[in-house]
Amino acid sequence: MLSGQDDKLFIMDNSFRTLAKTAQNILETRSKNSKIAICARYFRELESNEDLNRAAQFLGEGAFSSISGRRVTIGSRTYSTCAANFCEIDYEKVFKPAKTALGSSSEAIEKLMHNIAAARAKRTQAQLSLSQVESIYKDIAHVSSRTDKQEILRDTWKQMTPLEIKFFIRIMTRGSLRIGFESRSVVAAISQAFNKKVKDVCYAHMIMGSIGRTAVLCKNDQLNKATFKLFHPLSFMLASSIKNCAIENLSDYIAEEKFDGMRCQIHISGERVELYSRDLNDITHSFPEIVGFFAERNLPDLVLDGEVCVYKNNEIFPFQLLQKRMGRKNPSKEVIEKYPVLFIAYDVLFYDSGPTFKKTLIERRKILTKLAEQFNLPISNQFEITGKDDIDELFERALAHGNEGLMLKKKESTYEYGQRKKSWLKVKKPGGTLDTILMYAHAGGGKHGGDYSDFTLGIRVAEDERYEEEFIPIGKAYAEYTNEEMKKLNNRIKDLTVEKYGPTLGLIPEIVIELEFDDIQVNKRTKANYTLRLPRFKAIRWNLGPDDTDTLKDVEQMYEEKINRDRIKQDKNPSFHFNGEYKWSLF
Amino acid sequence: MNILKAGYNGILLPDYNIGFDFSSPQAQHIFISHAHSDHMPYKSNKPVYCTRNTFRLMQKRGYKDEARVLNFGEPLQLGNAQATLFPAGHILGSAMIYIETDEGSVLYTGDYRTPPSPATEGFKCPKQVDHFITEATFSLPVYKWASYDKITDDVQQFAIQTLDEGYTPVFLAYNLGKAQEVMHMLAPTGLPVQIHGAGYKLCDVYEEAGIDLGKYEAYDRDTCEGKILVTTNSAINNGFASNVKKKRLAYCSGWATHEASRTQLTVDKLIPLSDHLDFFELIHLCKKLNPQKVYITHTPNADVVQHYLNELNITSCFLDEVNI
Repeated sequence: MLSGQDDKLFIMDNSFRTLAKTAQNILETRSKNSKIAICARYFRELESNEDLNRAAQFLGEGAFSSISGRRVTIGSRTYSTCAANFCEIDYEKVFKPAKTALGSSSEAIEKLMHNIAAARAKRTQAQLSLSQVESIYKDIAHVSSRTDKQEILRDTWKQMTPLEIKFFIRIMTRGSLRIGFESRSVVAAISQAFNKKVKDVCYAHMIMGSIGRTAVLCKNDQLNKATFKLFHPLSFMLASSIKNCAIENLSDYIAEEKFDGMRCQIHISGERVELYSRDLNDITHSFPEIVGFFAERNLPDLVLDGEVCVYKNNEIFPFQLLQKRMGRKNPSKEVIEKYPVLFIAYDVLFYDSGPTFKKTLIERRKILTKLAEQFNLPISNQFEITGKDDIDELFERALAHGNEGLMLKKKESTYEYGQRKKSWLKVKKPGGTLDTILMYAHAGGGKHGGDYSDFTLGIRVAEDERYEEEFIPIGKAYAEYTNEEMKKLNNRIKDLTVEKYGPTLGLIPEIVIELEFDDIQVNKRTKANYTLRLPRFKAIRWNLGPDDTDTLKDVEQMYEEKINRDRIKQDKNPSFHFNGEYKWSLF
Repeated sequence: MNILKAGYNGILLPDYNIGFDFSSPQAQHIFISHAHSDHMPYKSNKPVYCTRNTFRLMQKRGYKDEARVLNFGEPLQLGNAQATLFPAGHILGSAMIYIETDEGSVLYTGDYRTPPSPATEGFKCPKQVDHFITEATFSLPVYKWASYDKITDDVQQFAIQTLDEGYTPVFLAYNLGKAQEVMHMLAPTGLPVQIHGAGYKLCDVYEEAGIDLGKYEAYDRDTCEGKILVTTNSAINNGFASNVKKKRLAYCSGWATHEASRTQLTVDKLIPLSDHLDFFELIHLCKKLNPQKVYITHTPNADVVQHYLNELNITSCFLDEVNI
């Protein structure tokens, strides 16, 4: 067995190995309460505030605090090829099948590092401290070339056990640690470790955004000192789908059009302006015209929640065009001229000297309206609704504007950051449906244990000269069906299985799934070059066969139609309010 | 040498009328390597060759027809070929079949394990093999088994700790071979075991072969709580010990290497205990035998084995399905 599993009783210290062993111990424990107790004990035993901060952050957030704006950007190919070299095995011929069998590159790396003599010979057990590992993550974030990153990885792995390497990778890539212990459990462990109420720890975490700093305040009995600070992004308030909610009184809500853009939080203090995306990344450098717009307005200290949209000639363009601006730092003037963006505010979270998120939406809206008048800021338009007819009418208008649909917001609600409740409701129309083929089945966990309930769906490219395959993947979706339908599907899958890769089955293309999705986006990293947003099962089309499926050309056509369709301009009945013509300038 | 894959799991030497784990009119002489259901027949219109223990296990699992029992190491002349059985270390009775001809020698491994399971007759391999037909179930370098002592310790500790904490330990293990090996590992603890009926009826063959299975009885729903239970994965999902609320499950299989099996099967403990050899032993054995050619079966990853054999300059092929 692997190193972490042989000694459950180990000495607690501030080494990374102890953290890795604790994580493995949590993985190997089934009950939620026992998992929390193990983690709480670990937190309690860490002596310094700094180490507690790091440990909570590594287990709960990843290599860096989510509000730090810092990220390790490293692709799985970079660390996988590095691991293959380290183990002196062929990447294509040996590493890839191993990864496929286990369904996880980090797990494959752990096992190869453990099993292969050449890899063992290179490693000494150096007991890196949490602080050393944090510096290594900073080093990796600091370099940009693959070679440089791989050099750091090699040097680091030489000093680690296979178990440490596995968790080092999972923390670095900021995916799940896959130990059945998500951020909420880390919060519970912090509160148990230091005898504080979960509710209070949770609040401090929400408001500060950093789980590491929350742990330190909790330990030092200073949870009341958790405050919202400018330039530390707050978790966004999220909306539920109206389909899942029964509304008692529509007039408790106000309607806004749901913009087809990107959610964004702006922090402003004098000329300092920073933008944060929904996953709390600092995206300031991608949108210099927005920075310029707010920096030159002499605003009081301010945090706004709103949407970044491509806006040109009084027209809001679809999200697909905004993608040309996303993830691109310091865009050229040409790119900005082609795809200029505008920030439309719809909420205010901090004004002048204090947070406003505990005020009601009506009160916040008053502040926002006043600011918009005084400083000429674009803000969403709000519409009173009294009945379902109003919703239908506004919804149609929103679509005609090129927007996604409507948001209904409860007038008396506070800003429930980080939560998805019924105070905000979204009304959306599905983007479309495609008849796709079932290509791979993945074993589900939890209540679907044993059944195949996650699937990779394919689109037909059999007649497409650009591809050699018959089908290529277009998306992954989860099937939620009654036991009977699930049984039928799983029986059919058994008959069609041709290959088995660990928890994944490769299937003969026979089963047709009608797939519903919100939107189509370009994604150059996929084989199809397109990904679907929120794909989900609409129906299993037992009556259809592989030849009835939609083709990649159909997907391309749907995408083009979306981009090129007519949209009502914003000069009449606009979706948002803004005086004068939008002219951008760089700050 | 003509070597063909035939039927679901069988191999055919058409020029010598010999079939391994395969019955069809095309083969006059049929050898059965061991009594697992994917290798043994349930009926045969002519006697099959196998070891005594394999025959007894097959009969207990429903084989109604006749067999010609062979001892390990005793050659049998079949026309212009000579056949000898070698112990395979996989389960009790499991044999590798060694065929010597003027064209050279063939070794068909069936399923095998080296170092062998102590709950078998051991493992012994002929020194000289020209055509090596080997299974390669665990043919990736992610599969490397811990030592027998280490696994035994894991099995015993799991049982003892679980009982100490007031829970009933349940070992999920295939009812022929793995179940008895787990019981053999637990025997020194002296703790009482209850085994699922399908596995229970096979245990006396093991005991008669001199393998200590400790203190055990057949599974009884009313008295099973607080005893060590041994059963299969499918039985546990179909009501086995469902009246015992406080129980912990350990999955004993080579596939327990996969972290994902923890959530797929909702088990508490993964014990990678396999009755097949691991990847490193496989490559090591090929290197030691250095045959003219290696024929690989039973694996989704023949390419990986071939890649390593190429580096050792050993010719190999994947015995893909040939429809007969």
